[in-house]
Amino acid sequence: MGVNWAQVLFNSAVTGSLYLIAAVGLTLTYGLSGFPNFAYAEFMTLGAYMGYFVVRQLGFDVYFAFIAAFLACGILGALAYRGVFRFLANRGANKIHLMVGSIALGFVIRYIIGDIWGWPATTFGIRWPGFDIGPLRVTDLWLALIFTALVLAVIMHLLLTRTKTGKAIRGISSNPELALASGINIERVTLVTWAGGAALAGIAGLFWGAIASLSPLLGWAMILPVFAVTILGGIGSFYGVLAAAFIIGLAENIGVVALTQLGLSTEYRMAIAFIILIVTLILRPQGLAKAFRRT
Amino acid sequence: MGLFVYSLDIIVFIGIFAIVALSLNLEYGFTGLGNFGKVAFFLAGAYTYAILMERTGIPFYLALIMAMLVSAGIGYLVSLPALRLREDYLAIVTLAIGEVLRLVVKTEDSIAHGVWGITVPPAIHWSGMSVLEMRMVNIGLVYFCLILCFIFFQLMTRSPYGRVLRAIREDEVAAEALGKNRVKYKAQVFMLGSALAGLGGGLYAQYMQYINPYMFLPMVTFTVWIMVIVGGPANNWGVLLGAGLVILFERGARIIKDYLLLPIDPINLQYILFGVLVIFLLAYRPQGLLKERQLETKAIEGVQKWKNRSSE
Amino acid sequence: MEESLLRVKEIGKHFGGLWAVNRASLDVARGSITALVGPNGSGKTTLFNVIFGLHKPDEGRVYFNGERIDHLAPHQVYAKGIVHAFQIPRLFYRLTVLDNMLLAARGHKGDGLLNSVVFRQGWQAQERELADKALELLNLLELDHLTLSPAGELSGGQRKLLEIGRALMAAPVLLLLDEPAAGVNPNLGRKIFERIELFRQRGLSFFIIEHRLEILFDFADWVYVMDRGKIAIEGKPEEVAKDSTFYKVYLGD
Ligand SMILES: Nc1ncnc2c1ncn2[C@@H]1O[C@H](COP(=O)(O)OP(=O)(O)OP(=O)(O)O)[C@@H](O)[C@H]1O
Ligand SMILES: [Mg+2]
Repeated sequence: MGVNWAQVLFNSAVTGSLYLIAAVGLTLTYGLSGFPNFAYAEFMTLGAYMGYFVVRQLGFDVYFAFIAAFLACGILGALAYRGVFRFLANRGANKIHLMVGSIALGFVIRYIIGDIWGWPATTFGIRWPGFDIGPLRVTDLWLALIFTALVLAVIMHLLLTRTKTGKAIRGISSNPELALASGINIERVTLVTWAGGAALAGIAGLFWGAIASLSPLLGWAMILPVFAVTILGGIGSFYGVLAAAFIIGLAENIGVVALTQLGLSTEYRMAIAFIILIVTLILRPQGLAKAFRRT
Repeated sequence: MGLFVYSLDIIVFIGIFAIVALSLNLEYGFTGLGNFGKVAFFLAGAYTYAILMERTGIPFYLALIMAMLVSAGIGYLVSLPALRLREDYLAIVTLAIGEVLRLVVKTEDSIAHGVWGITVPPAIHWSGMSVLEMRMVNIGLVYFCLILCFIFFQLMTRSPYGRVLRAIREDEVAAEALGKNRVKYKAQVFMLGSALAGLGGGLYAQYMQYINPYMFLPMVTFTVWIMVIVGGPANNWGVLLGAGLVILFERGARIIKDYLLLPIDPINLQYILFGVLVIFLLAYRPQGLLKERQLETKAIEGVQKWKNRSSE
Repeated sequence: MEESLLRVKEIGKHFGGLWAVNRASLDVARGSITALVGPNGSGKTTLFNVIFGLHKPDEGRVYFNGERIDHLAPHQVYAKGIVHAFQIPRLFYRLTVLDNMLLAARGHKGDGLLNSVVFRQGWQAQERELADKALELLNLLELDHLTLSPAGELSGGQRKLLEIGRALMAAPVLLLLDEPAAGVNPNLGRKIFERIELFRQRGLSFFIIEHRLEILFDFADWVYVMDRGKIAIEGKPEEVAKDSTFYKVYLGD
């Protein structure tokens, strides 16, 4: 059976775009606050269900779904930081406490979502008809996803290099003492990053919910590749994540082809991210990013 | 009678989860290792036991031992790349292995019939065995293992070895500078912790007599963490208490679901409450219900002597 | 010159673009109190970290007793006989003062997994002996009344003392002390150095970073002055004190 490599490449771009949007906030908050927030999975889930709420329950246009997901998750991110993580950190919580706290928060959000919208998987009920561009089979949704990721990449680049907040984000994760000394308002920068990152996670969840289906476990099912992207990219590094998202997107899509040809289940797609995660930790734990501090 | 048999079921569950919670306590409470994939080792033990019992004729205790060995082996392999790095890497890797193992047993029908699950022949059986007798046998088996584990953990953690583990938890670089090979200690702890989670898994499979991949969702890991955090990290008695309380609470929620009409599903509510509870405990009582106790070894005698001498 | 106990040869260590230690070479003689001084940020602590194995050097070598040790992990360096006391005490704060001391002990049989559970007789007596040794040291450091208190309850000066006591408990050949007298009152600072002198007479060697020169120079046999990662000058304390470069280094040029 011939493989349509152009399509594989295109699919990789779709997957990579999704992972980029999902992982940007995770990696930046991880770098700033020093621990991985496992409740990120539920930020994505909430984004998807906000879409469901707006499209299916209110009957609005899908564009409003994006606004709703962005805002709801942004607020949730800010609340999570202020109400849970900063609260715990101020009370002397260590890194493991914060990680456990994030899992606990994830459970709270997940079961609230489960209670409101139920556990069975569902969809937005929107059909995205495919059409051909040259050798490619595409849908509007996929193109929108890639476009969103591109816009995000450009905006993030400008933010990080041109604005004070952006420079501060990079400064704080590479050298907190120095950042403090240079008069950066760490608290504000951290809050903005948590809110913005969660908002993006919501957008990623919404896209995934629209592409596949949504259930309260949606975010959890995506958390592994998103973490693989974060680690491969190098914690706290936007450019690292940019590269890693597309590398893992490519690896997964080539992997799916390989799995099919080997006669294995394509369910193992998730295991590919896991293997990349492990190999990264063995060979290059600091990830692709150059600047990285290790204690 | 019905209520009595039901309460036996709760007792078995408390025993099984107490073993798993003790193993997490060794890792997290004493050594400071954040294992967020406890369910992976529980699963590995359960499936090893189930497969061996279904396919081979080996006696059940050998299958249990194999369950422990397989879990320990997986634990060792997984921890190897992460133990040298910062603690958050171990958290991510363990969390990931939980997902991947479940994926494998779910996808590969040839391992254990995938989503259809696998039936496990009972370890001890005679014809005409009643549910009551079956549960009594399981209580005997589970609590025999639990008592052995508990004694083992108590001896281990209340010795100079346990002191080294606590030191690694407090400051691993300082421990290393005082000659303790932190990677070796952490690997030992991780293997032991995984082995005992595997034992718990084996006992679980044997008691349930049927397992499928959906019994090994991440909430198993979370439940075990709550037991440790509620009961008292680095206090084995506390963790026993935590296991008991959490299982009783869980069962309570299920009973309420049958008898009470709430605007919110009690099982959902239970996990929401668990989450909130954990966050509050971390903030206001991270030491749990029963606090960690100071180490008491022969060294204390020396201190008493010294005090007597200097007060003369 | 007799063979030195510790030999640091052309060690370089950089963080990003900054060479914190830049081709530094020095020797610590057996049975000496050798001092390392220099302004803040000159790379002293980094050099210690390289010696005891926390950092891998980017260049150069470290020899101890003629044996290369620069590739070893800290616990292996400890096994060779070098023990390090941190600049900012790194105690096990939730453990008792006694436990902190016992943890430093060398060759404790109870530290092994199997021994802790199965062969328990093997280490019970050892535990007693070590406790006696720890109490003697704590007495010397005037901490014995705090033996069973958690280390977290100690004052700043007491923490510093315990950090040093722990290092002594490890029965080292060479002790690396990073600012032992910093943050304690002048009297206590002097007392600490008197204790150090006492142990030197018992055969230990010391390599000490210290900013309190007025105390240090009364006890040190040999002084290295570090400046921006390099050894600027070396000599006997009274010689160094007279050297004009010494003042330039400290006051900045
Ligand atoms: N882990 C690290 N990462 C990055 N830079 C570091 C690190 N450790 C030390 N440095 C830098 O290396 C230089 C030397 O630091 P070091 O701590 O060795 O100085 P020091 O001589 O001990 O100073 P002090 O007298 O203040 O203790 C400093 O500029 C410091 O900022
Ligand atoms: Mg220093």
